[in-house]
Amino acid sequence: MKRALALTALALGLLSCSSDKRTVLTVYSPHGPELLGSLEKSFEKAHPDIDVQWVDMGSQEVLDRIRAEKDNPQADVWFGAPAEAFDRATKEGLLEPYIPTWSNAVAVEGRDAGDHWYGTYLTPEVIAYNTQVVRREDAPKDWDEVLDPKWKGKVLIRDPIASGTMRAIFGAIVARSVTQTGSPEAGYEWLRKLDANTREYVLNPTILYQKIGRQEGVITLWDMPDIATLKQRFNISVDYIIPSSGTPLLVDGIAIVKGTKHPKEAKMYYEFVTTPEAMRDAAVNHLRIPARTDIPQADLPQWIRDAYSKIKPMPVDRKMMAGHLDEWMRYWDANIRNSRRGK
Amino acid sequence: MKQGDTRRSLLLAIPVFALLVWTVAYPNVAVIAGSFENGLGHWREFIASPADREALSTSIIISLASVVASLAIGVPLAFLLSRFDFPGRRILRAVATLPAALPPLVGVIAFLFLYGESGVVTRAIQRLFNMPEAPWRLTGVPAIIFVHAYTMYVYVYLFVSAGLERFDTTLDEAASGLGASGWQRLRYVTLPLLTPALAGSMLLVFMTSLGSFSAPYVFGGGIRVLATQIVSSKLNGSLGLAYVETTVLALSAVAGLALFRWLERKRKYTSSGKGSATRRVIRSRRAQIAAAVLATITVIVLVLPHLMVILVSFAVDGQWTTQVMPPAYTLDNYRRLFSEAELWRPIMNSLSMAVIATAANLIVCFVAAYLIVLRKFSGRRTLEVLVALPWAIPATAIALGLAATFNRNDLLSARVLLVGTFWILPLAYFVRGIPLVSTAIEGSLRQLDPALEDAARGLGGSWWLTMRKVVLPAARPGLVAGGLLAAVTAVGEFVAGVVLYTHANRPISMEILAQLRALAFGTASAYSVLLILLVLLMTLTARSFEERMA
Repeated sequence: MKRALALTALALGLLSCSSDKRTVLTVYSPHGPELLGSLEKSFEKAHPDIDVQWVDMGSQEVLDRIRAEKDNPQADVWFGAPAEAFDRATKEGLLEPYIPTWSNAVAVEGRDAGDHWYGTYLTPEVIAYNTQVVRREDAPKDWDEVLDPKWKGKVLIRDPIASGTMRAIFGAIVARSVTQTGSPEAGYEWLRKLDANTREYVLNPTILYQKIGRQEGVITLWDMPDIATLKQRFNISVDYIIPSSGTPLLVDGIAIVKGTKHPKEAKMYYEFVTTPEAMRDAAVNHLRIPARTDIPQADLPQWIRDAYSKIKPMPVDRKMMAGHLDEWMRYWDANIRNSRRGK
Repeated sequence: MKQGDTRRSLLLAIPVFALLVWTVAYPNVAVIAGSFENGLGHWREFIASPADREALSTSIIISLASVVASLAIGVPLAFLLSRFDFPGRRILRAVATLPAALPPLVGVIAFLFLYGESGVVTRAIQRLFNMPEAPWRLTGVPAIIFVHAYTMYVYVYLFVSAGLERFDTTLDEAASGLGASGWQRLRYVTLPLLTPALAGSMLLVFMTSLGSFSAPYVFGGGIRVLATQIVSSKLNGSLGLAYVETTVLALSAVAGLALFRWLERKRKYTSSGKGSATRRVIRSRRAQIAAAVLATITVIVLVLPHLMVILVSFAVDGQWTTQVMPPAYTLDNYRRLFSEAELWRPIMNSLSMAVIATAANLIVCFVAAYLIVLRKFSGRRTLEVLVALPWAIPATAIALGLAATFNRNDLLSARVLLVGTFWILPLAYFVRGIPLVSTAIEGSLRQLDPALEDAARGLGGSWWLTMRKVVLPAARPGLVAGGLLAAVTAVGEFVAGVVLYTHANRPISMEILAQLRALAFGTASAYSVLLILLVLLMTLTARSFEERMA
């Protein structure tokens, strides 16, 4: 028993030596170690009295965390998630309003009317394909072409329940059906046809990337910055096509968590990661498309300028999405998933 | 028994009882209460959802199939190794328990690299036979059962081997002398005597499969099981439904417990006397070669996942696409790990949390086992149930229960805010370790003649002296074995981590997951290798400690 006590004391010792005097600022974010790490370094250099600690997880997980920690918020800043997730958090009273100094440099769709969150990056959804197997001219040019029976068993889909990206795409399809026909049924039928072509619902993005790169499937629906990263940074043979009829243009945002113990530092971080310089750096080095409209086009890489000119944003009724997306996804999960796949 | 002793056991019993009720029973009550927060609404939702019904039946099918598959591998292996002597036996014996040393998430990843659609073995076979497509796909129910069988047959093997060690082969010879055929001997002598070992290991496999999270998480593809459905419901914002799913999962586990306990009770034979096993040497030349070949293949299959993780830890990320083997190698994955202080944090976190949880386990479980085995008092049965409870509750359910209970400070409902702090994960590890450590200590204490303790007291030894000189030494093997098991499980723990980790306690498994998210397979594998080494180091330390004390 003495040994056990000694070991406990040792463990506590190990724990305590890692703490220092700096103010700890906690950031929940899905942006990945590369971008977060580089921002952490430059921020801590500019503010040596602050220790930035980021926790890297999927955006839907961030929402779940912040909800669970409502009575004792652990995070100060929530950096990164589709607008839909932020809208939901706003509705549940989880966010602290803040008007950034650059509030006028973001389009109306790229911000919350009550200032609970602001857009940082734009994430267009695209159709991605493996370039070793599919020639560019043969790849689907628009959403409906993905339903072509020739892709049967060749489409990989990231499990949409846990994925903000996939929820946005599925949601846009169903919302389109509601606006055009007044009912979600046509949208569901579309998703059933997609289910018929789907080879597998992949449970996380990494495995999706691996599978598409290694030709286990040749087509997927995903977001442009990630596919660009795979192609440019990881030399995986994939490329994307911007759907011709329009695509959901997700706004990825930033927000301050309600009940933060470090509001001053949180605002400093908020501003720091959204300066034009930070945006430019994120665009060049981390392939993010800035949401701020006041950054000169000439400063941005060619592929982003191309994207700006080719993308036709799909009009999305965010209010309808916030009210119905969960219900649609539940219906999909219960009645559409696997209803035609592999049959 | 002296008057003071009764008071003293009561004094020990009350805090242990309170602690166990609070950390083990109470969270489950909170989950069950949560499932009814909407009246029967969430239950109706569960029953009406085809997805949830599918998840329930798939969970049970997978668990039962995993039991069958583990038996199919574990029982013959145990028989082969304890009854026969053949070339290669010692190596095979040495690696037979290796799969258990593979932490859950790591094992699954290794399988993906090996047998996945674009894995090494799959691609090699595809190339060899010039097939246009991969010969199989590692997804869905068969893939999960495959992974379970590989990692869980070890339980069956260990239990049955132990049973056979104690088994007196003279009994078998006697039966043979009486004219019983080989089959009859197996059916009427060997199997009945092995029933406790079989039932115990079947129960363990069933429970572990039911709560298994990482295999369905990675290979699940289209299918659903309850363990992943819970996390998915929680992410989808339907916490009430998640509570219902958790309750159903726990109920299935309890049903499994009852079933296997019943199986065990149905047949109970004990062999008196010490086991004396004789090993038959295989003499026929042909059988010798066959056994050696078979043993070699088995050893390779058992070692491959470990080798694969080591191999990938040296691979350059992103280079391995359609080739059979990773084409380029580097030391960078390790260099990064050793040069960036931030990357060391998860290792220190996991280590310190495992030490804290295990230390708490040793103290609490020692007291509990002492009370259960050596003290006769009225609450004994209840204490036994409390201690065994975390065994019957899958890890996802434990994690969700803790998250539902320790989410705010509220004196009236005895809640303390631990969610989002460092302490929530050590607490989860502690709860999961309770049955492991208690069972081990109980086993050791049962071998102590209760009269010895009374004798020591009768001879005038103080309670404390008796404890130190008689009870503790008797409990030592159990303390070491149980503590080791708990610590090893905690270091590689994944399921509770997914639900409960924060920046302050980020464990190794979450770091591996984060590296996978960032496509850094090499770094993730390097972490896995370190984790395997850590487990090995802990095992060796415990073994040498035990040898020094013995």
